[in-house]
Amino acid sequence: MRAVVFTDKALSKHAGQFVWLSIDTEKAQNAPFVHKYPIGAWPSLYVIDPRKETVLLRWVGGASVAQLEKIFADGRNAYGGSAGTAQGDLARADRLYAEGRYPEAVPAYQAALATLPPKDPRYARAAESLLFSLGATQRREDCVALTLQDYPKLRGTTAGADFAASGLDCATGLPENAKGRSEAIARLEAASRESLADRRIPLTADDRSGIYSALFDARKDAKDETGAAAVAKEWVADLDGRAARAKTAEQRTALDPDRLGAYEAAGQLEKAIPMLERSEREFPKDYNPPARLALVYQKLGRWDQSLAASDRALGLVYGPRRIRVLVVRADVYKGMGDAAMERRTLEEAVSFAKSLPEGQKPENQIAGLEKRLGSLESASSQP
Amino acid sequence: MAGRLAGKIAGLLAAALSVAPLMGASADAPAVKPAVPFIEDDYARALSEARSKNVPIFVENWAPW
Repeated sequence: MRAVVFTDKALSKHAGQFVWLSIDTEKAQNAPFVHKYPIGAWPSLYVIDPRKETVLLRWVGGASVAQLEKIFADGRNAYGGSAGTAQGDLARADRLYAEGRYPEAVPAYQAALATLPPKDPRYARAAESLLFSLGATQRREDCVALTLQDYPKLRGTTAGADFAASGLDCATGLPENAKGRSEAIARLEAASRESLADRRIPLTADDRSGIYSALFDARKDAKDETGAAAVAKEWVADLDGRAARAKTAEQRTALDPDRLGAYEAAGQLEKAIPMLERSEREFPKDYNPPARLALVYQKLGRWDQSLAASDRALGLVYGPRRIRVLVVRADVYKGMGDAAMERRTLEEAVSFAKSLPEGQKPENQIAGLEKRLGSLESASSQP
Repeated sequence: MAGRLAGKIAGLLAAALSVAPLMGASADAPAVKPAVPFIEDDYARALSEARSKNVPIFVENWAPW
């Protein structure tokens, strides 16, 4: 978003409507903010009431200019007070969602949506917030049911495309013997394909990549290797084309993580190396290119090159991301069969994670790392 | 892997968001000039300005990966 959407001059007319705040959640100085307003996924957009210091509205993920303008309107309305039942219900649902109270947000959004006509400009945002709440509460079947029910209402929009792909992700995650699973996958694959093909929908590269990813997983789920390979090939071509058309190095580099995913799906991980080397040359202070190179080399079993890239990343990285870089490094040592260095690196990751301030301390991640360390200890004590 | 919502729902269902992978996240680290005047990493200042102007705060929470 930073490279493409927030640079769009169309947004400048909204400048006086808000005070604009950008928070890098990885910086230690922002830990108190993150502790006060927890982030469930990145990016997340908030509209905060400065009088009460409460979140009035939350949007998860990137957004187009058109979507942002709807968020601005809803945010201003929420700040100015409610008018009408739908807005009252929606405001309550938004508040629960903003507070991360997903189990309560689900029925609140359902109640709000029952009174909102699908053409209401708030409908799509409310439906997407409900979808995210269902995902956060692991309600796959409800996710599938919602996407099947609402896709026809949202067809031809960015939200519709998101619904198709999200529903497909949910459907492929259902147990294999779940009732209606195959039919749901078929319908949502068709909807995802339809969304990709509709060039009138202003999908971002990230949106399109999410759809390709869901389609790829669906073909893998069907054990259709030929179909999966065809999706991956199309996915790579789509992203490579966008990279070639990028107007700035920032816009091109922003595609790196999606391209990396597409290359891996296509079995072309080697293609990520020159891409990431170029990004590293163009943004020598950014830790992402060397961190990603370390991962690529690790996946390719090129241990020395992975460790060299990891060294460069560790020299630049800050905040919680350091843990992930260390975990990749530990994976390299594991691949090399060096259990002592694997253990030492994991211990370093745990120690660093525990040193992070509240708001950044990743308790689940720490638990996972300690479990892995415990397994290493058990293995080393075996006769 | 990515996508505005699709990948994030998949991540939630896999309980993977707390350990964001090195691939499949948004890479927006390089600095660019936004069209609206963002205050960088200073909530106290934003709060003070918003109160004095009587407008809400719009926050972009992001990470460089």
